[in-house]
Amino acid sequence: MPKKSKGANKDDKMRENKSKSVSVKSQKHKPAEKELKPVEEKEVISLKEEELLQESGTDSDYDADSLSGSLNSDDFDSDIFDSEDDDSQRETKDGESSEDSHEGSEDNEDDDESEQIDSDNGEEDGSDEGSEQGEAVEESDSSEDEVAPRNTVGDVPLVWYKDEKHIGYDITGKKITKKEKRDKLDSFLATMDDSKNWRKIYDDYNDEEVELTKEESKIIRRMLKGEAPHADFDPYAPYVDWFKWDDAIHPLSSAPEPKRRFIPSKWEAKMVVKYVRAIRKGWIKFDKPEEEPNVYLLWGDDSASDQKNKHLTYIPPPKLKLPGHDESYNPSLEYIPTEEEKASYELMYEEDRPKFIPKRFTSLRSIPAYENALRESFERCLDLYLCPRVRKKRINIDPESLKPKLPSRKDLRPYPNSCYLEYKGHTGPVTSISTDSSGQWIASGSTDGSVRIWEVETGRCLKIWQFVEAIKCVSWNPLSSLPIIAAAMGRDLVILNTELGSDEEQEIIKERLHLGNLPESDASVAAIVSWLPDELYGGIKIRHFKNVSYIHWNRKGDYISTVMASGETRGVVTHQLSKKLTRRLKFKIRGLPVCTLFHPSRSYFFIATRKDVRVFNLLETDEPIKKLETGLKEISSMAIHPSGDHLIVGSKEGKLCWFDTDLSSKPYKTLKNHPKDITNVAFHRSYPLFASCSEDSTAYVFHGMVYNDLNQNPLIVPLEILRGHSNGGVLDCKFHPRQPWLFTAGADSIIKLYCH
Amino acid sequence: MPKHYRPAGKKKEGNAARYMTRSQALKHLQVNLNLFRRLCIVKGIFPREPKKKVKGNHHTYYHVKDIAFLQHEPLLEKFREIKTYQKKVKKAKAKKNEELARLLLTRQPTYKLDRLIRERYPTFIDALRDLDDCLTMVHLFAVLPASDRENLEVKRVHNCRRLSHEWQAYISRNHALRKVFVSVKGIYYQAELEGQKITWLTPHAIQQVFTNDVDFSVLLTFLEFYETLLAFINFKLYHSLNVKYPPILDSRLEALAADLYALSRYIDASSRGMTVEPKVDASSSSQSNDCEESELRLAQLQHQLPSSEPGALMHIVADNNKEVEEDEETRVCKSLFKDLKFFLSREVPRESLLFVIPAFGGMVSWEGEGAPFKEDDESITHHIIDKPSAGHLYLSREYVQPQWIYDCVNARIILPTEKYLVGRIPPPHLSPFVDNESEGYVPDYAETIKRLQAAARNEVLPLPGVGKEDLEDPQNLLYAGVISRAEEAEAATIKKKMATLEKQYHEELKMEVKVKGSNAVVSPVVAEGSEGEESVDDATKQRIAREDADTSTVMMSRKKRKLYEAMKIGKDKKKESVERIIRRKKELNATQE
Repeated sequence: MPKKSKGANKDDKMRENKSKSVSVKSQKHKPAEKELKPVEEKEVISLKEEELLQESGTDSDYDADSLSGSLNSDDFDSDIFDSEDDDSQRETKDGESSEDSHEGSEDNEDDDESEQIDSDNGEEDGSDEGSEQGEAVEESDSSEDEVAPRNTVGDVPLVWYKDEKHIGYDITGKKITKKEKRDKLDSFLATMDDSKNWRKIYDDYNDEEVELTKEESKIIRRMLKGEAPHADFDPYAPYVDWFKWDDAIHPLSSAPEPKRRFIPSKWEAKMVVKYVRAIRKGWIKFDKPEEEPNVYLLWGDDSASDQKNKHLTYIPPPKLKLPGHDESYNPSLEYIPTEEEKASYELMYEEDRPKFIPKRFTSLRSIPAYENALRESFERCLDLYLCPRVRKKRINIDPESLKPKLPSRKDLRPYPNSCYLEYKGHTGPVTSISTDSSGQWIASGSTDGSVRIWEVETGRCLKIWQFVEAIKCVSWNPLSSLPIIAAAMGRDLVILNTELGSDEEQEIIKERLHLGNLPESDASVAAIVSWLPDELYGGIKIRHFKNVSYIHWNRKGDYISTVMASGETRGVVTHQLSKKLTRRLKFKIRGLPVCTLFHPSRSYFFIATRKDVRVFNLLETDEPIKKLETGLKEISSMAIHPSGDHLIVGSKEGKLCWFDTDLSSKPYKTLKNHPKDITNVAFHRSYPLFASCSEDSTAYVFHGMVYNDLNQNPLIVPLEILRGHSNGGVLDCKFHPRQPWLFTAGADSIIKLYCH
Repeated sequence: MPKHYRPAGKKKEGNAARYMTRSQALKHLQVNLNLFRRLCIVKGIFPREPKKKVKGNHHTYYHVKDIAFLQHEPLLEKFREIKTYQKKVKKAKAKKNEELARLLLTRQPTYKLDRLIRERYPTFIDALRDLDDCLTMVHLFAVLPASDRENLEVKRVHNCRRLSHEWQAYISRNHALRKVFVSVKGIYYQAELEGQKITWLTPHAIQQVFTNDVDFSVLLTFLEFYETLLAFINFKLYHSLNVKYPPILDSRLEALAADLYALSRYIDASSRGMTVEPKVDASSSSQSNDCEESELRLAQLQHQLPSSEPGALMHIVADNNKEVEEDEETRVCKSLFKDLKFFLSREVPRESLLFVIPAFGGMVSWEGEGAPFKEDDESITHHIIDKPSAGHLYLSREYVQPQWIYDCVNARIILPTEKYLVGRIPPPHLSPFVDNESEGYVPDYAETIKRLQAAARNEVLPLPGVGKEDLEDPQNLLYAGVISRAEEAEAATIKKKMATLEKQYHEELKMEVKVKGSNAVVSPVVAEGSEGEESVDDATKQRIAREDADTSTVMMSRKKRKLYEAMKIGKDKKKESVERIIRRKKELNATQE
């Protein structure tokens, strides 16, 4: 036995099992080995066989062989696995397959023959029949043996021979030396050159390369597929019963019948009881229940309709829109979009794309099925049960009726409505304009650094002062007896003598503009402002510590306030011209100041920061007496009504707020009249007019009537949009002090005069 | 403090107390989303829009009362019962207790929706009002293929088909059909029942395809409700005709129907509808039916006799009453195709035409078995054909395309057939649902039809002052009697036209004067030579107009301005679409010339 195992077990355990199963078949009389059989079913069969054998008492050897013949599937298993390992077994397989072809009667003879051959080849180890057979299955081909010496080390780990020069011993006990290892490159090249390389398997037990034959590879392929290894094997062959049942007089088993076969079943009885109970209780009914008619006259009487519905009001779903001409299968040709239009639909966003594109079919039979029918129906269903329903009142009114009833514009005349004159001369955008109190002259400042004086009636340029820096703001002194101009550029505020007016007036001006001995000023003020003489044009230059953005004279023409981009108390300062004195504000400002205003009659001072307007009393200190909440994002300008109670504020979002300071701290009216930033706003001194100008190159003129009756709200009527400036916007607008005329300064370096 | 803080001990109130979100509702009702959906669908509960959305904008809100309404619904309990019962069956199956499973399956609890229908639609009219979706859905499912995957059984498809045919038979028999429109999506029908306009869409009789982006369980739940609703409505309608409701079909025709597949199934229903109706009609009618047909009728009558014999007299009375009740429109519809006999070729949409033609008083037959008369019948006046060319032509009849029928129906007159003859491309098919005047664009063919209608009216009732619009119609002038009246009318219209023209002229003058005025103001500028603003053309006029509009919008409150702008946008859109159509029309004309 050990010898046999030595011979049979070649390289791995699986193989060992298989070979054992082979040996088992051949030696059916050894019951110990049967347990090793891999397939249970077969074992059972073999057990039966054995019983039979014992009973019938025939020659065991013969029977075993015949059995193995009948159970040919076993045979196949074994020799397939053999041949799989080693191509030396090819012949065996062939022999076996030839066995298959004969089967039946001749079977055992063949087997015997093969055995004999095997035993010859298997050389001297013929002592044990079983082992001989095992060997025979393994090693059948003599020619193969010559080629490669057999390793006889048996089932030992090959690691033991790792460091040895030999791989094992052949049958004669000689060492089998290991073959020289080829280096990788060579082996790779060899594999590349050899087209049959994929068939080659390295057998590390024998230290040789084995080439699989075509048949073997086919067998492997079949096995991989889970089929029987042999092509001609029929796994579903009809079963041939070996026992004749017909004339048997004895039972197969002599065991007595069990008792349970004579006792009525307890479980059946229980089931019967259950059924009886179910029938009695009416759970099981044998006659089908009568079908009630599932439709009947549901709305036979309308009495129920009188019942008050206690539930919430039912909102019927809106009906689907009825189809128009374009949905017709054959619409008029004008409803079908052109090719370009269709192409343009492709470029649209998915949501914007029209849901339905009209198509035209020339006949009824050519209409295809509508592919979205189900989806549309589904969407409608979703709408019906998922969409919140609200009763909405459809307003079926003329949109014009929504407009407020305003007095006719004709009745509100005069107001500026058409361009009358243009003042050309500046080379850069005109940032600021200012009219003198008589209305005869107008001053303008531009980014080209020039300040000009024009005659209003003729458009003649009277005077030019040229500076280096761009002019930010110009302002004419409101006193008619003091024709001087303040201009802001960079960090400087320059006060210029226009040299208009009479001689006495000039005397006063000269005196005013003369910087004699400057009064001692506060150290904090000195840090911000310094008074200097203007060498260029002989005026006064007041230098600030930051760029000046806005200036404003008070009513009496003595004080001038300047705004710088700085917070706290340093952003706004007031200069007194007569005393050449600068004062800082006594109160703090929150945020950056944008513009400031003096109240026309009282000692109030308005400071607009970005978000709101605060009103301070200059005589008192600290807290603002009023805070006007504009609700705007960024204030750009403001103007005060000559009465002093009304204020308009323009913002960079194009909104204009009218404040009635007596009424509320919230705007009385907010008008969104410009699409772009409002740059400036202005009130007329005597006419009920105000205007705003914007970066959208328009100026808007309004009628703004303020009544003496406190109960009556001011009347605001939009009058005219003044266009005419080219792109770049209108940067400033001012009314003529006496006439209902409006000056606008454009970024196109032109000043325009609009008359009524 | 959280946004909606409520002090302890203070009850919820307002929107927070009145509305709950869907997930809250689910929790409250202790149902899953599927069941909740089914309940909502059959109960007709829909979300509502609270004024203030307490839980956020992205939630759906249900009214607390609605949810309470669901909670007290017996169906909820029933659904729960069914669920537990399903568990029992499942358990029995899992334990291999086939016997028990079979037994259980025979006694499954079922539910009915009739009470719900009564609850949702307390009166018949309420039900008719909401019938549009129901009909559209049932008609759609009547042509869908049954599908295992979508759990759509053959039985249901057949039921839908039966219901839709019953409905059509009633409408056809009562001449309640008003408008038909063949669109790309299918055929729209509009009927008028008890003063309610009911519009539904039937898909074209071509195999519909399933799409994957549709949740069938939702559709089937809706369908379940709609099927029940339509069955009850049909019952009521048939009851009003004194006809036994689940109608007994002629078995022979039914068998034929199986052969002829879906199409003739409808004929079954409708012909049954026709035969079930007045027996008086059957006896007195001068129809030249084949003996075969009359046999069929006899067979059906036998079915009917035992059930409706006592009610027969009543029926006649009811019928008479109906004649009196019939309104003007029904009479017109009934007599549109009165003395015409139609024959349908194989390729025309038979189902639709078999519904439409009898609805307008015509007689119709088709190619195939069970037809009332054969193709070679001499009395056939119109042969409906949809092929490029007809084969054998009978001189006694006109061969027209099916669109002619639909156009006649919508126009309520018999249109001249020459445009619809076989092989020609028919004139455009226009939607009867559109009010051309308010739309702002009248297609050419609509004008033509209008003129023809006017001419027909003149023919029928020569009343003075009727035919004002049809001066150019040459047909009109053929009638000598009409001419004088036509002249009169012409004079009147000319006067009118003159008046309008004059008005227009005055207005234009005014406008010009206005412009001149502004011009005069502008002129000094020209004199100054500062800028050449010499051209006061349309652009400035428009500008002025725009300014006018602008100036007043500035003074509106924000709410009103937004509304105004929205209205403006809507109007502009409409105008734009009309303009686009007109532009296309111009281009087309240009290319044709």
